[in-house]
Amino acid sequence: MTDLIRLNRRLLLGTALAAPFVARPALAAGEVIVRTPGGTYDDVMRKYVYEPFTRETGITVRPVAATSAKLLAMFRAGNVELDLIDTGAGQLLTLDRMGALAPIAYDKWRWTKPEDISPELKSANRVSNFVYCTVLGYSKEAFPNGAPDSWAQFWDAGKFPGPRMLGDMASGSAHLEFALLADGVPKDKLYPLDVERALRVMDRIRPQIRRFWDTGALSAQMLSDKEVVAGSIWNGRLQVLIDRGAPLAYTWNEHMIQVQAMGIFKDARNVAGAQLLADYMLQAEVQAKYARDLIYGPTNTKSFPLMTEEERARAPGGPRSTQTGFYQNNEWWEDNRDRVNRQWSRWVQK
Amino acid sequence: MPVRIPTAWLLLAPALLLLAGLFLFPIGWFLHASISELGTWSEILTEAEDVLLSGAISRSLVTTGWIGVVVTLLVLVIGYPMSYALSRARGWVFTAILLCIVLPYFTSTIVRTYAWMVLLGRNGLINQILLGLGLVGEPVNLLYNRTGVIIGMTYVLLPYMVLTLFAAMKAVDPRLMQAAEGMGASPAQVFRKVFMPLTLHGVVAGVLITFILAIGFFVTPALMGGPSDVMIAMLIEREVEITQNWPSAALMTIVLLVVTLALYAVYSRFAEPGEAVR
Repeated sequence: MTDLIRLNRRLLLGTALAAPFVARPALAAGEVIVRTPGGTYDDVMRKYVYEPFTRETGITVRPVAATSAKLLAMFRAGNVELDLIDTGAGQLLTLDRMGALAPIAYDKWRWTKPEDISPELKSANRVSNFVYCTVLGYSKEAFPNGAPDSWAQFWDAGKFPGPRMLGDMASGSAHLEFALLADGVPKDKLYPLDVERALRVMDRIRPQIRRFWDTGALSAQMLSDKEVVAGSIWNGRLQVLIDRGAPLAYTWNEHMIQVQAMGIFKDARNVAGAQLLADYMLQAEVQAKYARDLIYGPTNTKSFPLMTEEERARAPGGPRSTQTGFYQNNEWWEDNRDRVNRQWSRWVQK
Repeated sequence: MPVRIPTAWLLLAPALLLLAGLFLFPIGWFLHASISELGTWSEILTEAEDVLLSGAISRSLVTTGWIGVVVTLLVLVIGYPMSYALSRARGWVFTAILLCIVLPYFTSTIVRTYAWMVLLGRNGLINQILLGLGLVGEPVNLLYNRTGVIIGMTYVLLPYMVLTLFAAMKAVDPRLMQAAEGMGASPAQVFRKVFMPLTLHGVVAGVLITFILAIGFFVTPALMGGPSDVMIAMLIEREVEITQNWPSAALMTIVLLVVTLALYAVYSRFAEPGEAVR
């Protein structure tokens, strides 16, 4: 009796929490529901992944939006309303550690060879579908005689004057790595981050910071509206502005490579379909196409030879990128995000 | 015509069910599930102490309160004459003023906030005008700082004040002012001794509702504020989305909820229907 009540309560809770997803009709056998970042991303993926996948398998793909909190709520309430999660590697790691994810069926893959995916970009329950990076972007107009080419130069407000921006905790993680680089810490010695030292270095540039940005949209807007003359920004966001003719540029020096990854809810209704979609998406040819349009880096090592010289040059995670940049350490952030967030909230309100 | 009590409850039932199902129940679940995750009472208390005394939340509460007070005062100063004009206006003038106040609310807060960002930016319309007229030598920072937050929030909250005051002013019998004038009172005296006291409960209600809404603001300060303009709702969002520390978010939510409910208790005393028609 109590079990029945508990079950009902769980059902009710799940329904209440996942209200936007409840509209899902009685399960169409061949549908995979995938959480995506949304926007242009969906358009590109529909063209190169979802629609060809449907033609090949008969399984339809429905992209939906869901914040990390919503994913967590779904899992906790025991009512998982989507199958495949396509999100930042950090958030996916949270879900993985909570035991929400099913193993990726590498041994059953039919389109992609698991060994083609770089080893650091796959684990038992998670596999990366692209990498992106945070670069030092700047206005060419503000620095006609040479722009800052490193974070140490970014920190040099005397030589490179003007308002700046950096990423806030609310963007996923505060850009403490750049502060440590500016202070002379080598790229391969960044982690574990010395948070106190990074914040002391941040103190020095703070008067020049117009704003710590929280969303990619805001960072792009601030740079294109000339609210700031330089700052950290995601390469894709910046490249779109440059391609439209904005007088902006960036340096490939000391950029931070970040990872997007996929995982499958172990209680998902269509685990098998989600496995197939992940397998299909990660093929070298497919990745080369969407990576080109999204200006992201492919995770399949066989994709790079399929891209043009120019496309390769601007893809994060490529041979040049891995030499001049560094990978953000998700594990460290996952272990320390709580503590850093508190320190950051205190510091930022000083 | 007075409504009998059982009928009143019947009429209220749909609204109450909706509130219970979509607000009280989820928030109760969230608070309970999040906080019980911490374990025993002593562990909850330790975490509460840690969260509430960490410095971040106390600073944020000061920021939130300060912004709330400034915005509420500005809204009152701008809203009082507006409401007065509205309460005296007739015919198409009345309709025009009302439309100007209400119509922008058909667009979302985000869109309206972005509109302000276009106006207030370093290269925005206002700075271009100021520079063009030679009033300033270089662009004034009106955005991504406290000024920006206050301008944006004042704009968004103005109608709540205007409409609350309007209801109170409309209820003032104009013959009372005529009587005062007839007995030789100057216009200033009529306002100070008759009109203002009669609308005071509206002012209190308007101030409280504006302040309650202001301290829960998220979108406007998140978009228009500077590095240190962290309001409490922004801290809560960060705990929910970024660190996914729900117990900590729940504890902060309780702080905001307690403050809001306390103010609401005061508000409901001043917003009694019997008071408004006095």
